[in-house]
Amino acid sequence: MTDYNAMADDDFRKMLNDWLVENYPNELRFPAKRMHWDQCGDWYMTLANKGWLAPGWPTEHGGMGLDANKLLILMEEFEGYGVGRTPDQGMTMIGPLLIQYGTEEQRKHYLPKILNGENIWCQGYSEPGAGSDLASLRTAAVRDGDDYVVNGHKIWTTLAMDANMIFTLVRTNKEGKKQQGITFLLIPLDTPGITVRGIDNLGMHDEFAEVFFDDVRVPVANIVGKENDGWTIAKALLGHERIFIGSPKMASLAMNRLQALAESADMFGDPLFVERYIALKLDIEDLSAAYLRFVEVLKRGGHIGAEVSMLKIWNTETQQRITDLMLDVAGENCGVSDAIPAGDTAVSAPGEFIDARPTTIYGGSNQIQRNILAKAVLKLPS
Amino acid sequence: MEDISLQSRIDVLTEEQMMIQDSAVAFIAQDEELKKVRENRFTQPGYDAKTWAEMAEAGWLGFLVPEKYDGIGLAFSDLSLVLIQLGKGLVPAPFSATAVLAARTIVKSDNESFKKARLPALIAGEWKPAIAWQETRATLNVKAEKVTCADGKLNGQKLFVPDAGGADAFIVSAATAAGTALYLVEKDASGLSIEYAQRVDGGFYATLTFDNVAVGEEVASAAVAEQALASALDEARVAASAELLGVMTRALEITIDYLTQRVQFDKPIGSFQALQHQSVDLFVLSEISRSVLLQTTALFDSDASDEERAIAASQLKARCGDAALQITKDAIQLHGGIGYTDECNIGLYLKKAMYLSSLWGNSSAHRGRYAELVL
Repeated sequence: MTDYNAMADDDFRKMLNDWLVENYPNELRFPAKRMHWDQCGDWYMTLANKGWLAPGWPTEHGGMGLDANKLLILMEEFEGYGVGRTPDQGMTMIGPLLIQYGTEEQRKHYLPKILNGENIWCQGYSEPGAGSDLASLRTAAVRDGDDYVVNGHKIWTTLAMDANMIFTLVRTNKEGKKQQGITFLLIPLDTPGITVRGIDNLGMHDEFAEVFFDDVRVPVANIVGKENDGWTIAKALLGHERIFIGSPKMASLAMNRLQALAESADMFGDPLFVERYIALKLDIEDLSAAYLRFVEVLKRGGHIGAEVSMLKIWNTETQQRITDLMLDVAGENCGVSDAIPAGDTAVSAPGEFIDARPTTIYGGSNQIQRNILAKAVLKLPS
Repeated sequence: MEDISLQSRIDVLTEEQMMIQDSAVAFIAQDEELKKVRENRFTQPGYDAKTWAEMAEAGWLGFLVPEKYDGIGLAFSDLSLVLIQLGKGLVPAPFSATAVLAARTIVKSDNESFKKARLPALIAGEWKPAIAWQETRATLNVKAEKVTCADGKLNGQKLFVPDAGGADAFIVSAATAAGTALYLVEKDASGLSIEYAQRVDGGFYATLTFDNVAVGEEVASAAVAEQALASALDEARVAASAELLGVMTRALEITIDYLTQRVQFDKPIGSFQALQHQSVDLFVLSEISRSVLLQTTALFDSDASDEERAIAASQLKARCGDAALQITKDAIQLHGGIGYTDECNIGLYLKKAMYLSSLWGNSSAHRGRYAELVL
C-alpha cells in the first residue's frame, strides 16, 4: 500500500490532479447544487474502488491514512478541480466516530459497508424544537426488552432521501441536565415506522428532508458508546474537520463568478464598483492569510480549538456580501431564475445569492459562533 | 491585563523571538499607566530622550540595518514583535519613521561613504534624520515635483513630516534634471523654515519650506532615489501596521477588561449578548489583521519583488488601518460616557489609530493602489 504521507507534497498534488483529470466526470465539475445519489453515485464508487473514499481514516480501517497536511492538500486539489460533495456523512462523521467510540463489532460491521457504498449515512441531530439549542431535543428512545422504541421528528437532514442509514441523537432520560439524557443511536432507514419527506429550500432544491419516527424498534446494540453519553460523543467529533469550514475556496469561487458577471456588464470602468469589488477581494485575501495560519497549526500536529469559529464567521459573511454585489451588478436579471451568459460561462446571480443564505445558519449559526468566541476565547462573563 | 490574542494559542515563536518580545513587553511595562505618554503630549519633541536612548541600547534601532554598518540585520518578523508592543504602549518615539523609513532609505541608497558615516550614529541613537518626501495630501507617489534642486539650491515645500521636532537633519527628495534625488539638509540650514502642526495623538507634523536652501550631501542619486524611497516606505507601512496591531489589540484588551468589571442592571455588562457579539467582531478583526501581518512580514523576509511587496504592504495597511479605527471607535462606545473623557486612557488609543492609520497612506489610498496593481 502506498504511504502517501511519505510522498513529497508536489508529487502528491500531481498524483491527485492527474487522477482527477482522468476520472472525475467533466459535467459534474463545480456543481451549482448539492448532488443527489443518482448524479454522483458512480463517482462515489469510483472513489471507493480507488480506495480514496476515506482519506482521513487510518489505513487499517480502509482509509488513506493521511496526516493533517496531506489531508489539506487533498481537500485543496479536490476543491480546486471543482469536485462536488458526495453524500459523505459516512466518511466524515460516523466513520471517525465509530473508529474512536465504536465497539470492535460495530467497526467490523459498519466501516466496510461505508467503503463499498452499501451504506449511505445521514445525520439526525436537529429537530423542529431543537436547532441552536440542540440539547433540548425530544425524539425519545424508550427501552423495551432488547430494543428501543423511537418516536419523534428530525429535520434539516441533508440528503436523507439518498441514505439508508441515519445516526441520531435521541433522548433516553428526561431527568437532570438535558445534555446528560442523550444517547447516540444508529438506525436503518428501512425500519418500519420511518417516513422521510424532502424539503424544498429557497433554491427550489430538495437538499434536506424531515425524518419521522413512529414506534420504530431499534436494537439496543445500535448504541454507540454508553446510554446517556451521546452528547459528549457528538461534541468530541468536532475535531480537525472544523478547519474546512474556514477554507476560502467557496468565497473565491463566488468572487470568480462576480468577476465574470462584472466583466460582461462592463463594470470595471466604474470606480464605485471597483471600490466595492476590491474591498471584497481583500476580505478574501485576508481570510486566506488567517486560514493558512490555522493550517500551520495542524501541519505542526497542533490542536485547533474554539477560535476556529472566527474563520466560519468571516468566510460566510464575506461570501454573502459577494452575492449582494452580484445582485447589484445583475440589475433586472436579479429577478431571472436562469443563469445568464457571462463571458465564456453562465452565472445566476439570484442563484448564488440564495445559495449563500444558509451558510451563516448551518454548522452552528454565526450568532452561536459568536457566543462560543465570547465565552471560550474572550472569557466574557455569563 | 489578560492577553486575549491567539498568538499564544496557535502561533509558534522561536526562542530568540520570545526574548525579543519579552524585552519589548518589559519596556512598555515601565509606563503601564501611560503617564509618560501623557506628559509628552503636545510638547516638543513629543517624546523623551531617555526613551530613544533605551531603544538604541536595546539594539532595536539597528534591527533592519546590515551588520556591516553596525546593525543587527534581523528580519521583519522579529522587528514586528517589538513594534506591536510599542503600539500597545502608545510609545510616542518615532521608531517607524526613523529606525525603519529613514534607516532603510539610507541603506537602499547609493552613497556608500554616507552610509558608513551615518548609519552607525543612527543606530546608536545619536543622530536622528527625518525623511521629507511628501508634497500633497493622500499621495503614495514618491516622484518629487514641487521641491526642486537646481544649482545646489532647494526650493519648494514638503508636507507631513512626522516628528521633525526631535530630528537632527532632514533627508529631502527633490526633482533634478536627472530625476528625483535625495539630499541631506541640516535642521538649521539657512532658508529652511519649519512650521509645526499639532497632531491628535499629541505629536507633531512639520511643513518644511525651502527658499534657496543649499543642499548638503547627496544621499541617493537620481539613479536609485525613487526606488529606495518607495521600497523603504513600503517597509515603513509594514512597521506602522504592526504598531496599529498593537494599538488595536491593547484597546480591545482594555475594553474586554472593562466589560468584565463594569456592573449595570446588577450584572457585568460583558454578560449581555449585544456587547459580546460586538466584542467578538472586534476580536475577529484584530486576528484577521494579525494573520495578514504574519503573512506580510514573512513575505518581506523573503526575496519577493518590489511589486509583490507593494501589493502586500497595501493589503496590510488597508486592513490594519481600518481595523484599528473600527476597534478603537467601538472601544469608546463600549466604555460609554467615561470613554469620551480625556482622563480615560481608551481615547489615547483612538487618537493613535487616527494618526497611524492615515500615515503613509490611509486605507482608501492603499486599496486604490492595490486595485491598480492587481486588476
